[in-house]
Amino acid sequence: MAKFSKTKRALLIGTGVIGGALVLGTTLAWSRVASGKNFKPPVKAGETAFNAWLKILPDSTVVVQVPRQDMGQGIYTTLAMLVAEELDADWSKVRAEQSVVNPVYGVSVLLGDGAPPALRPAMMALGPVLGLQLTGGSASVRDGWMPMRTAAASARAMLLSAAGAKWNVPVTELTIEKSIVKHAATGKSAAIGELAQVAGGLTPPSTVNLKAPKDWKILGTSPARLDVVEKTLGKAQFGIDVRLDGMLYATVKHIPYVSGHLQEVRWKNGAPPKDVLHLARGDNWIAVVSTSYWSAKKALEEAELVGGGDTGTVLSSEQLAAQYNEVLDGKNDGVLKPLRRTFGEHGNAEKAIASVAKTQRIDAAYSVPFQAHASMEPMNCTVQIKDGKVDVWVGNQSPTVVQWLAAGNVGVPSENVTVHTPYLGGAFGRRIDLEVIRQALACAKLTDGKPVQLIWSREEDITHDAFRPAVSARMSAAFDDKGGLLAWHHRIVGPSVTKNVMARMNPLVAGDFPPDFANADGAAELPYALAHFKCDHAQVELPVPVGFWRSVGNSYNGFFVETFVDEIAFALKKDPYLFRLELLKDQPRYAKVVDAAASAAQWSSALPKGWGRGIALVYSFKSIVCQVVDVEIVGKDIKVRRVVSAVDCGTALHPDNVKAQISGAAIYGLTAALKSQITLKDGQVQQRNFDTFPLLNMAECPQFETVIVHSGAPLGGIGEVGVPPIAPALGNAIFAATGKRLRGLPFVLG
Amino acid sequence: MPTTLTLNLAPVTLNAPDDKPLLWALREEANLVGTKFGCGIAACGACTVHVDGVAIRSCVTPLSAVAGKQVTTIEGISAKGPNAVQKAWIEHQVPQCGYCQSGFIMATTALLEKTPDPTDADIDAAITNLCRCGTYPAMRSAIKKATQLQKAGG
Repeated sequence: MAKFSKTKRALLIGTGVIGGALVLGTTLAWSRVASGKNFKPPVKAGETAFNAWLKILPDSTVVVQVPRQDMGQGIYTTLAMLVAEELDADWSKVRAEQSVVNPVYGVSVLLGDGAPPALRPAMMALGPVLGLQLTGGSASVRDGWMPMRTAAASARAMLLSAAGAKWNVPVTELTIEKSIVKHAATGKSAAIGELAQVAGGLTPPSTVNLKAPKDWKILGTSPARLDVVEKTLGKAQFGIDVRLDGMLYATVKHIPYVSGHLQEVRWKNGAPPKDVLHLARGDNWIAVVSTSYWSAKKALEEAELVGGGDTGTVLSSEQLAAQYNEVLDGKNDGVLKPLRRTFGEHGNAEKAIASVAKTQRIDAAYSVPFQAHASMEPMNCTVQIKDGKVDVWVGNQSPTVVQWLAAGNVGVPSENVTVHTPYLGGAFGRRIDLEVIRQALACAKLTDGKPVQLIWSREEDITHDAFRPAVSARMSAAFDDKGGLLAWHHRIVGPSVTKNVMARMNPLVAGDFPPDFANADGAAELPYALAHFKCDHAQVELPVPVGFWRSVGNSYNGFFVETFVDEIAFALKKDPYLFRLELLKDQPRYAKVVDAAASAAQWSSALPKGWGRGIALVYSFKSIVCQVVDVEIVGKDIKVRRVVSAVDCGTALHPDNVKAQISGAAIYGLTAALKSQITLKDGQVQQRNFDTFPLLNMAECPQFETVIVHSGAPLGGIGEVGVPPIAPALGNAIFAATGKRLRGLPFVLG
Repeated sequence: MPTTLTLNLAPVTLNAPDDKPLLWALREEANLVGTKFGCGIAACGACTVHVDGVAIRSCVTPLSAVAGKQVTTIEGISAKGPNAVQKAWIEHQVPQCGYCQSGFIMATTALLEKTPDPTDADIDAAITNLCRCGTYPAMRSAIKKATQLQKAGG
């Protein structure tokens, strides 16, 4: 268990957001909290809202209110399945609809996730008080699990009551099957749409029983995703597709540096070109409003932004790596201001490692670079400010925060702000940031009520992302006389992503900051049996914006930990798969996942010459994933041929989607392991677009096989958990093929 | 500088500068937003449309270059319901976030017009679009299914 409790992190997120709301100058949700419990979503004629979570139409269509954002993870479908299951609804007549912003939809599990068991209920109770709708932490299904099933079971009971009264029969004799209420003895039946209006007016039951998993008809199967047809026909609406009468377009240009301030704008011909209708300016950017994105972009090409005045205007990746090494050497570097903390400890690892002979210890140093999110839909936001009302259309991971921001920014009450959330064309943590919304608001203030759509170019997206931080680590381990692993010491240096994101949201929370457990995610608590264990983290201050990047701390700690486990296995002349099993002798749930992956991959089967096989295991977001990678080395080319994954997320509610998320996340991780990175030179990002920040493509994509291990344990997340093991499994495979141990990403064979 | 072309089988005149990329003319003038902006440098293929039946990247194609030509977008191929590629896409549940999918479907539709029975190497060579969600494995299965559906008459 960590020395610094995860509670503090959750509290910090909570207080950060509350502080953010207050500073944004709006009436915080407090006044609306009371209304939350009995809240019902807006209805159109004929629709009946049973509670916050579902409406039923006269034709028996069930419209599920989804307060989370679909960025590809399939959440509209899985959350709708929770409702359909308890309602016994006909899946072919279930729709998902983005809910409005209301405190009743606030996340609870996400807040409670990090807290120790004793404090977890208290943290979760904060959920409806904060009323924060946020999609992240692979928590959406876990968050919807109780409220959405309960809401559906409650609606089901109301429908039965209505039918029982109508037919004058006991409710206990009624059943619902595929949205039809039936009374077997009399042969009476009615579709739920016929009963909805009366049923919706009844008093909800005080308690409901939820189905046992053995009685599920929809959960655990893989119905067609609700969004696939419209996404296939080109009809799905993303933020960038919003079209409004009289809409203007805008685009933005930042100063060339990752930090610092805009000092001067120099126009090629001394003044903005004629296509510029309006010009907005921020601390490190300008935006041009024009009649078209294209004309706005062309106009901005004539602008040179002069800026600087910050250490970020001189930083290079090499320099940063050297500074990280100084911090790891224990030097108190005044530039990075390291804050040293221990996130996990038992026994005395340092003493144990210092006391063994040199032949009984192993040390290694690892690093990862900055990474961009590179969502396929470039950042964009559409705003209309008219008659004291603000409408914001944006693919964002927290419509609640968008509402607070817009209200404070424009100076109107929250209820005058309507946030419209279309589909998100990828997010991966990127769309929690608010900068594009601030910029669009600034533009919309200039246009006399006309709507403005602000779109970032891909170049702005790559050069001014909030990056996955560059992180370095040193690992040391000691063996005992019998070749058993005795002690483990992991030291990490990097910035706090949570602090950085919160500080951008609200500068007031930038000062003294509680420990950010995400720094040590995937490192502080390992499943392996280790007599002596310590995980240290030196939190540094960087002049580079950093953000949550799919799987966050696990994305780098998984690489460090699982590569080092492999190095230890090799040093002890042990098979990396069997060595992991040995370390997991008291962890049967983990061992089962490792066995499942190794078995599906035929771990011991022979490989052609020049090929190698590697394995890695990472627990993240309450799920366990083990991956086995087969790689072929052709000259200096690394060709990933096959990825076999085993995943235990407790229960796979939509198995096909679980598999799609695991392979998709692994491909996301393979891009970072093989192809892309963000590097800095003289304070500027050296990559600009997909030519210099390439993504894994179809030809490079390996074969995938994913095995689901059903443990029935409490639900784990799925959207991010396929990322962490892929880089170490690949690196370990490269080592098996070549004998070369690559300790930095992306992998390059020299 | 109006440009006249045939767009999804209908003659249209788009009033935009000659050098404005077809992508933006489609999205802003023609109000067809199924064709997506991804990179602006022809690297990702999200903007793929057909010009006289050939898949091109509309973000780097000036509007003037398609004067008098047949341009087909995702809206055009979807007009009569899903084509064989789209049917296979739905069967294999390909999309995740969905943003890049129009481009992939246009590229695949063009590939199968020319090469009705593509090998894996043909697919690798022709389908160079980018998908950040990593839907490639499902796409490859869907492309193979689409060849069967197409042979069976769509």
